[in-house]
Amino acid sequence: MILLILSQLLALVGLLVGVYGITIRYAETKRRALPADKSPLKGNPQHGITYAFTVGMMPWAKESTRIHMIAYLRGIGFHVGIFTAIGALLISPFWGFLPTMLSTLLMIVLGLGSLLGAAGGVMRIAEHNLRGLSLLDDHFAVWLVTIWMAAAALALWNAGVLIPFYILSAITLAYIPLGKIRHCLYFFFSRLFFGKFFGRRAVFPHPEPVKIEARHD
Amino acid sequence: MTETIELALKTLESQLNQPLETALESCARCGICAEACHYYQAESKVEHIPAYRAEQLRSVYRYEHDFLSKLFPMWTRSKKLDEPTLANLTEIAFSQCTLCRRCTVNCPLGVDTPLMMRAVRAMATASGTAPEILVMLADAAIEKGKDPSFYKEMFLDQITEMEEQLRDITGDQNAAIPVEKQGAKILYVPLAGAHTILPPAVVFNAAKEDWSLSIFEASNYGVFLADVNRAKQVAKRIVDEANRLGVKEIVISECGHAYASYRWDVPNWFVGEFNFKVRSLIEVLAEYIQDGKIKVDPTAIPEAVTYHDSCNLARNGGLIEEPRYVLKSVVGDFREMTPNKAEALCCGGGGGLVALAEYADRRIAAGKPKATQIQKTGARVVVAACENCRLQIGDINEHYNLNVKVTAITDLVVRAMRLPKPLPGHEAEFLFDDEKVTVA
Repeated sequence: MILLILSQLLALVGLLVGVYGITIRYAETKRRALPADKSPLKGNPQHGITYAFTVGMMPWAKESTRIHMIAYLRGIGFHVGIFTAIGALLISPFWGFLPTMLSTLLMIVLGLGSLLGAAGGVMRIAEHNLRGLSLLDDHFAVWLVTIWMAAAALALWNAGVLIPFYILSAITLAYIPLGKIRHCLYFFFSRLFFGKFFGRRAVFPHPEPVKIEARHD
Repeated sequence: MTETIELALKTLESQLNQPLETALESCARCGICAEACHYYQAESKVEHIPAYRAEQLRSVYRYEHDFLSKLFPMWTRSKKLDEPTLANLTEIAFSQCTLCRRCTVNCPLGVDTPLMMRAVRAMATASGTAPEILVMLADAAIEKGKDPSFYKEMFLDQITEMEEQLRDITGDQNAAIPVEKQGAKILYVPLAGAHTILPPAVVFNAAKEDWSLSIFEASNYGVFLADVNRAKQVAKRIVDEANRLGVKEIVISECGHAYASYRWDVPNWFVGEFNFKVRSLIEVLAEYIQDGKIKVDPTAIPEAVTYHDSCNLARNGGLIEEPRYVLKSVVGDFREMTPNKAEALCCGGGGGLVALAEYADRRIAAGKPKATQIQKTGARVVVAACENCRLQIGDINEHYNLNVKVTAITDLVVRAMRLPKPLPGHEAEFLFDDEKVTVA
């Protein structure tokens, strides 16, 4: 019991380190200059931002995801698993009160996420391009998160795995601001700038047919 | 640390704003951007993956800014910037990326790799390692702006000759090419060469436009160098001219980077001094056709025509439908390339590459996907609204034996205006190697 409480405290410390680190990262980035764009609009940056976080994320919106649909779906499944693991961690003291159906569903999502993560980890080693691109940080991050999700799934099934799950949670959460997992923060910045850039130029979303712009007078 | 490296790092620091830091931090190295790049499509190797290129800068950035990378550089392959690394970065940014942003639109996170390549270009320019020819061209334009009187007389003589040609072609003895016309509504900024002056002059005269020809050219090599200081000085010539004449609008010739920079960047460099609208000549043509200010014959060009979207005009500029509106007004058989519009493939000539003779082989090799795309349309005429694209497509036309004619939108419009006489070099026929096709 003491070990369990200690592991829970460790997970809490990991969470705090992760949140603190990401907050620092956020503050550091926000401290940097944000170039003002005074050029007259053609489209609407707000529409662009909405597009970037909605339709623009759909698999049919990009040629790359259209031709790599399986890789896209693998990535989606993996990330759904990660967010489920975070949610599962936060409600872990109340797992005993969960309806069986819900805990089974969580197990399936986490197990699937873990399998898809493992597939990604193997691809990083087996596939020539990915191997060339990958850093030790990438390999470590993908396997860490994969094992963490697997531990979450197992812990839901067997309480005996709770302590390893909490320890892995601590490592994973504390690692977020340190390594590549921090793209979870920069994802939002990136899609925001993407939306603003292409939105103001009326490229995404692209109105069709476009109105021919009127002359000056 | 040498002075070169110090300057390069200092420039990187000065460039580090929110969008750049985001681009440097966002990549998950999933590699899905690979096929988005025409270099990778032409030759599938790791070095041609946009994420790989960006990693070369990230490794330097991480060494300077990332806690874990400073402790364990091996963990993130981070490294201290040195001369060979800078040389490698410079070569990548100037010869293996045309800044087309196709990788950005295909990235699930929207990572702006061209923004990073621009940062590298800025580092190279500041540290004196950028391609000399680009620096020379930018500096020559700046000098020209300082004392235009040096060449103005010669320029005006050429315009007088062109005016005679214009009158001969149009049959209109009042047709004119006004220069430095005080109070004109439009300041039209051409490129170097009569081919970007005479056809628009025909159109402006037919539309009875109140216009003035700029004595400067629209090209801005400072933009390719990612050197805002130089780019601003080059642009200032035109901003000053527009202010001096009191025009309401600047119209940019068919040029990708010039349009994108004057439309989207230059207003930010001259806040308070930039009180004009900026349009591309293509938008003006679309307006004239739509409003019936010029009459065009929709059957004038019977040949199958395809359109190449310049990355600076379409994906980075938002000019997507306007060229199609114009072309569909003058072309009977218009065929789209696949993919097109915001997803269009770069021709391989962007980012200043056309001016860099030392990278010509790479440029032609990277143009292969575009050549294949053109071939698949079956079109005999390829229209591009950007001079650099036209030069590149002209080169790949020759190299890959496409047997197509490469032309500008304005040229087709002028053909469709059915003038009494054709423009010089625009005889009323497209002559192909294997056949002769009557156009009008």
